Amino acid sequence: MDERSNADAETAQPRRAAGRPRASESAHGSLAALLNFVRTGEATTRQELENQSELGRAVVTDRLATLLRLGLIEEGELGPAIGGRAPRHVRFRPRMGMILAAVLDHSSLAVGVSDLSGHLLAEHHEAVELAAGPEPVVQRLATLFAWMLEEHGSEGGIWGVGLAVPGPVEKPDGQKLFAPALSAFQNWDGFPFVEQLATLVGAPVWARSGVQTMTMGELKSGSGVGLTDMIFVKLGRSISAGVISEGVLHRGAQGAAGMIGYTFVEGGNLETVAGSEALGREARQAAESGRSPYLAEALARAGEVTVTDAGHGAQLGDPFCIDLLGRCGRAVGEVLAPLANLLNPSLIVLGGNVAETGDIVLAAVREAVYRQSHPVVTRDLRIVRSQMGGSAGLVGAAQVVAEALFDARFLQGWITLGSPREHPEFKDFLARAAFDTSARPAKPRPPGGPFA
Amino acid sequence: MAITGLGPHGERAVPANQVGLSDADADAARSRHFSVAVVLHTTMSDWAKEELAGIVATLGRYGAAVVEVIDCAFDIDRQISELRRLAGEPVDAVVSIPIGSSRAADAHRAISMAGKKLLLLDNAPTGMLPGKDYVSVISTDNFGLGQIGAELLAPYVPQNGKIGVLAYGVDFFATHEREIAFRKWMASHRPDLSLVRSKFADVSQARSATADLLQANPDLAGLFAVWDVPATGAAAAILDAGKTIPITTVDLGNDVAADLAGGGLIKGIAAQLPYDQGVATGIATILGLLERQPPPWIALPGLGVTVANVVEAYQVVWRAPAPAALLKARKPRKNTP
Repeated sequence: MDERSNADAETAQPRRAAGRPRASESAHGSLAALLNFVRTGEATTRQELENQSELGRAVVTDRLATLLRLGLIEEGELGPAIGGRAPRHVRFRPRMGMILAAVLDHSSLAVGVSDLSGHLLAEHHEAVELAAGPEPVVQRLATLFAWMLEEHGSEGGIWGVGLAVPGPVEKPDGQKLFAPALSAFQNWDGFPFVEQLATLVGAPVWARSGVQTMTMGELKSGSGVGLTDMIFVKLGRSISAGVISEGVLHRGAQGAAGMIGYTFVEGGNLETVAGSEALGREARQAAESGRSPYLAEALARAGEVTVTDAGHGAQLGDPFCIDLLGRCGRAVGEVLAPLANLLNPSLIVLGGNVAETGDIVLAAVREAVYRQSHPVVTRDLRIVRSQMGGSAGLVGAAQVVAEALFDARFLQGWITLGSPREHPEFKDFLARAAFDTSARPAKPRPPGGPFA
Repeated sequence: MAITGLGPHGERAVPANQVGLSDADADAARSRHFSVAVVLHTTMSDWAKEELAGIVATLGRYGAAVVEVIDCAFDIDRQISELRRLAGEPVDAVVSIPIGSSRAADAHRAISMAGKKLLLLDNAPTGMLPGKDYVSVISTDNFGLGQIGAELLAPYVPQNGKIGVLAYGVDFFATHEREIAFRKWMASHRPDLSLVRSKFADVSQARSATADLLQANPDLAGLFAVWDVPATGAAAAILDAGKTIPITTVDLGNDVAADLAGGGLIKGIAAQLPYDQGVATGIATILGLLERQPPPWIALPGLGVTVANVVEAYQVVWRAPAPAALLKARKPRKNTP
């Protein structure tokens, strides 16, 4: 049945007497609603779908036929019979399309491919030189994506790309679905990164900050599975937090929620006291002055010392390294305690290379949070180190796309067209991107210029 | 040589020679008499024999017994059933090389869920996490191996030539990393070259996969095979077609070493050091058993081998004198005044 006959069938349904028609009274709305019931497992038989959606039997049957024809669902096994014919389950087809995920950081990039349920099938991480500018990075992503798709292709091709960048990603203004504004790297300002990526891949791109995708990843596959309230803290060169409250990622008014690195603590703002660069600088001074015999040896061996060396030194009992990481953990804990009091999470996860140095940072964070929080807040609060490493961002970026593709408003725009690549707003976006790219200078503007 | 690749979860590598046991750790391990099982994809290859030798010797040094060595014969189902069985056996740790990235994940998890320590060689199945599902991955820097393969092939390929990759058509992290790195190196250092690809799912298909590649691309001017056994199949296919196309590959197997030394099609090899990897695995196993949390990604650099250093490399990799065929190729020592 084609789209027009669906619409015709819809007009034969009795309309509500007054007010605006419910979303489910449009063909698109009812298709989207039924697909999401099946996808989330809330209703998987015709009877359950009729009950959940409050749609008539004829409409449900018609919409399921359309979803089957579009390949979005398939018939499954028979359920138990309750007085009559056994009901046939229908199920979502997660391999109908693929999601690509990319995480950009200051010195590395990661790519992954997942099915439509956000389940990661493969991942790859490599070092990257961001100083060369955005153009080689976008080309590199496209190359790796092409390779991954060759290895894990699907009948429906790529349906969306999740992109994580260091730094906040602004929310789109007004009714626009896509937010290409990306100010992650200063010298990338003005470069149409998202537009180029979407054009090369031919699928919509959803961008989020790195810490927000890591938070989503921990919730989907890490320590946060099954929880509704948690905080993820990235302790790296920059320090930021992601908040899940009542099961939903909190992005804030502009999308910049979680910039806790800017909070003032004793000695400066948190990033300049407890960020990996600050710790690395202190470690180097201690190595050069001989205050830390372990770091002095590490410096002599490798020519540099980093926070990772300080972690090794602390594990081997070097007093300076233990003190350095203890101070770092306390500063982080003092910033986290007010957040714990405000949000009452059941879990705080510490990730990033400072958290990976070992248990001293973790112990100091715990001590500070427990000391400064209301007893009820900390009664069942767990504070743990992330075990997902760089995979958290990839899993989360794929999850952002899985949720966005099937968000009721976006889904209604593409469902009868069979693929989100056909969404009219995405087509408009590509057309605008093509126009903008031809109109813009090929190279990004230098930082510090009049428009930077 | 530096380690260029990142771990399965983006970890920065800790070089194997920086992971060690203190005297106190060694004494503690010896007093506890640990039992360890080893699960390998095969025990027949030279790589596997050396790897096992490194593991067994190191564990023995610290009072741990290798109570079982399982040869899965490249069979994923066999690996799954053996791991599930081992989960119920009285061993303290299992060392395994996962074959089939995601399919074998649950069987590997069964080991850690049974309270045993799991150490992985070369790769971690997608979705498995260090600290939770396993202790460490110990691997050669496969990304670096791919770069060496590209670097050694590039001088043999003329400007604007076409090169091929003979890739493994199975979802396997180590060979994927080699291929990604090979392509990346070529794209940045030899952007003039174009690249084609052929895949084989089983090493016995390497010869026919290469023949197909040659038929479709008669102008092929170079080839990278992702390890040595398929490389010999590729060399045979090239000779069948009456061509001479330079090949580079990974692992210093006897056949490719002899071909390299004898001036055959093999022009360069990125060698792994399986005995050293075994030693690092033994140390990481002991650290894990003592709850000392070894790094999640312990890596060893690869070794570039050409006709100029094949004898020395053979001795380093296999800890044995090079065979006569290799010695013949060695350049005579220059007379010094």
